[in-house]
Amino acid sequence: MIIAERKPMEEIRQLIAPYKKVLVAGCETCVAVCWAGGEKEVGILASQLRLARGAEGSGISVLEATVERQCEREMVAEIKDKVAKVEVVISLACGSGVQTMAEMFEDRPVFPGVNTTFIGMPEKEGLWVEMCGACGDCFLDRTGGVCPIVRCAKGLLNGPCGGTRKGGKCEIDPDKDCAWVLIHGRLEKQGRLDVMRKYYPPKNYRAVKRPGKVQAAKA
Amino acid sequence: MLSDIREKSIEKVVVAACSPEFQEHVFRGVLEEAGLNGHLLSMANIREQCSWAHEGDVTEKAVDLVKMAVNRARLLQPVDNKELPVNRKVLVVGGGFSATNVALQLSQLGLQTTVLEEDAVLGGGVGALESFYGFDPSLITSAVQGDKNIEILTSTEMIALEGKIGDFRVGIRKDGEETLRRYGAIVFANGYRTEPALDSGVKPGPNVVSQEQFSSMLGRAALGTEPKTVGFMFDFSDENSRYSTLATLHNALEAKKKWGSEVYVFYRSVKVDSEGVEKLYQQARDCGVVFLKSEVQPRIAVENGQVRIEAKDVFLGQDVALACDVLVGEELCLPAEGSEELISFLNIKRDSRGFFQDENVHLYPVGSERKGIFFVGGCRGELDFARVLADVSSVAVNVYELLSSGKILVDVERVKADPQKCVACLTCIRVCPHRAIELVRADNSKEVAGISDLACYACGICAGICPAKAIGFQGYRDEEIVAQIEATGESLNGRSLAFCCQHSAYPAADLAGRLRLHYPQNLRIIRVPCAGQVDVFHILKALEKGAASVLVMGCEEGACHHITGNTRARERVRYSQTLLKEVGVDGGRVRMLNISPNAPHKFARAVNEVAKTMRESGR
Repeated sequence: MIIAERKPMEEIRQLIAPYKKVLVAGCETCVAVCWAGGEKEVGILASQLRLARGAEGSGISVLEATVERQCEREMVAEIKDKVAKVEVVISLACGSGVQTMAEMFEDRPVFPGVNTTFIGMPEKEGLWVEMCGACGDCFLDRTGGVCPIVRCAKGLLNGPCGGTRKGGKCEIDPDKDCAWVLIHGRLEKQGRLDVMRKYYPPKNYRAVKRPGKVQAAKA
Repeated sequence: MLSDIREKSIEKVVVAACSPEFQEHVFRGVLEEAGLNGHLLSMANIREQCSWAHEGDVTEKAVDLVKMAVNRARLLQPVDNKELPVNRKVLVVGGGFSATNVALQLSQLGLQTTVLEEDAVLGGGVGALESFYGFDPSLITSAVQGDKNIEILTSTEMIALEGKIGDFRVGIRKDGEETLRRYGAIVFANGYRTEPALDSGVKPGPNVVSQEQFSSMLGRAALGTEPKTVGFMFDFSDENSRYSTLATLHNALEAKKKWGSEVYVFYRSVKVDSEGVEKLYQQARDCGVVFLKSEVQPRIAVENGQVRIEAKDVFLGQDVALACDVLVGEELCLPAEGSEELISFLNIKRDSRGFFQDENVHLYPVGSERKGIFFVGGCRGELDFARVLADVSSVAVNVYELLSSGKILVDVERVKADPQKCVACLTCIRVCPHRAIELVRADNSKEVAGISDLACYACGICAGICPAKAIGFQGYRDEEIVAQIEATGESLNGRSLAFCCQHSAYPAADLAGRLRLHYPQNLRIIRVPCAGQVDVFHILKALEKGAASVLVMGCEEGACHHITGNTRARERVRYSQTLLKEVGVDGGRVRMLNISPNAPHKFARAVNEVAKTMRESGR
């Protein structure tokens, strides 16, 4: 799932400072699940902006809308009437949603209200951790299902850096697990430690062709 | 009311009178009798929280309260109730004194039980009871074995638990074979274990024994050489030393009586909070047991077949040294082996010492946050005999009340996740303090949060936190709360709005009215099922609509009926304050207050203080 977090309020307020009519647009998919841009966060940001208006005496009006998936043109089209009533849109969707909205309504600015941070999973209520770097060349088969590209602070491909702390923690951040300790543990359980003996050359990041495109085999 | 509802085809009813805490059920009954759903009732509390609470003309406030109730009533929806079948069988985990007594009492009430014991025989720690209390524990185990309502499974482990009250699905393993069984309720009575708390240099041995070993020495007919001098130690490593204290007093007296030994007891404090212990302590003193109070743990050394104990006596003010034949060392009482594993599938909180049952006054004595799961005896801490017996009776009554009729009357879908809006993010499942929610596949469609009507306590914590705003709690849905905020219109300007928990602050406010503890009229109260239901957007909405301050009032910490509701509310209030500061609004306009239902003075004082702060800051 895509994880995002709300931009600092100060930044949002500077973005919309020149405008009087604002639409806060949320997305009901990933960003709703990670408490960053669903219907609830749309309501909270809108309330905040209205309260700010009250505190400063500036006269802006704030509309609210949430679509099922902001990365789908058809779904974004459903809120076109609301967009028509405002000068600027603050999108609380991931970067993909912001761009879809920007493309659909080219005649007015669509600004991001969240920072899209990573692909991850919830570790517990309200805490999400990065799991996947979307590198385009997955090799989780060799690493016991633990991705060292994002879970190792240094993104190392051939074993730990030598700075692993006692208890299998990372030398850069003692609160985080060393990915290679996790990988070793997992492969050991599976009796596949020999996989770690093999050297892997530097990863071919050119496999990540930008912009990426995925064509489903069957249309 | 009856004839008005019937003759004028009334659809919804607003009662502007006393507190709903007081008479809501009566008015609901009237609606039901007139053929209306009882949930289509909205009450304006113009007595306890208006005319009795303020001096002077209260008309304006009363009108506001009625408007709020009317606006809420517009949106109310009916809630049906029905009887759901429940399994009447009970699983009792453990095979000791508590477990067997629970099974016997439930059997007398006509409920069938399975006693599940990990060991090969029943009994648990009851062996030690014989010398303490002078009865033969084997009588109980034989009674259990002869009872047709009781099934005994020894050498059996519990390996999985799913489901809800009325239908718990329990995985068990016996002789390597795994099977699944179904029960309506589960009683945990798996006891405790003890561990010696000795200095690192001292090892248990023939001279340094545990209370249990000492009891069995006392029980033996002939001992060869009886110890001439006996030392005891307790209350140094653990202040919750009920077990050590009781065992020491019993065993010290016995040693005195049986062997005529010299007995010295080293202690920090003697805790006499169990029935008969003060008397026991006095008896021990009277027959010559010497008590030596020391602030720090005595030094112990084993030399020449004797144990040397050195301590600084608080009363003598000097060092004391004693050589004794046997030292009964201090012991710690700890959760039973395997508790970790049990807790992993029970999915509930434990107390700060790792025993079952969270430290929350509403769970005592035997309840848990999950309906249909109970804890009895030593598994929930160090209990004395009288407390264990009280536990056993309490659990028998509780289980009987739940399961005896084989069905439970529940509100149907009073709290429900809208399958269209639910994104199955699992947040509600993770936060539900009563573990009443699981993923379900409704009509073979996508997976959504399914809230069990049987297990749900209707606290609304899930509704408050649901990121997709998919969970609705009839009567307290977002729109019903916002309707009350908006009902007062302009008149909310400059006033305070309080979200009051129905278990605590709301009845406290009622009581303040009854006692005529006057507080400013500018407070408007919205009753909520739990402070944990109040979310950030409710708070911001109230401020947006003109409220000068918003108060969230819940139970005292550690006493939330829904375990985490008040602490969640506290965090949300903090978060709201941050959000307000971000936009240049004084965060102090939102406050969290913890008020217990019997604290009307605290309520009135808090409201007065908020009003004073508001006046001083010019709002």
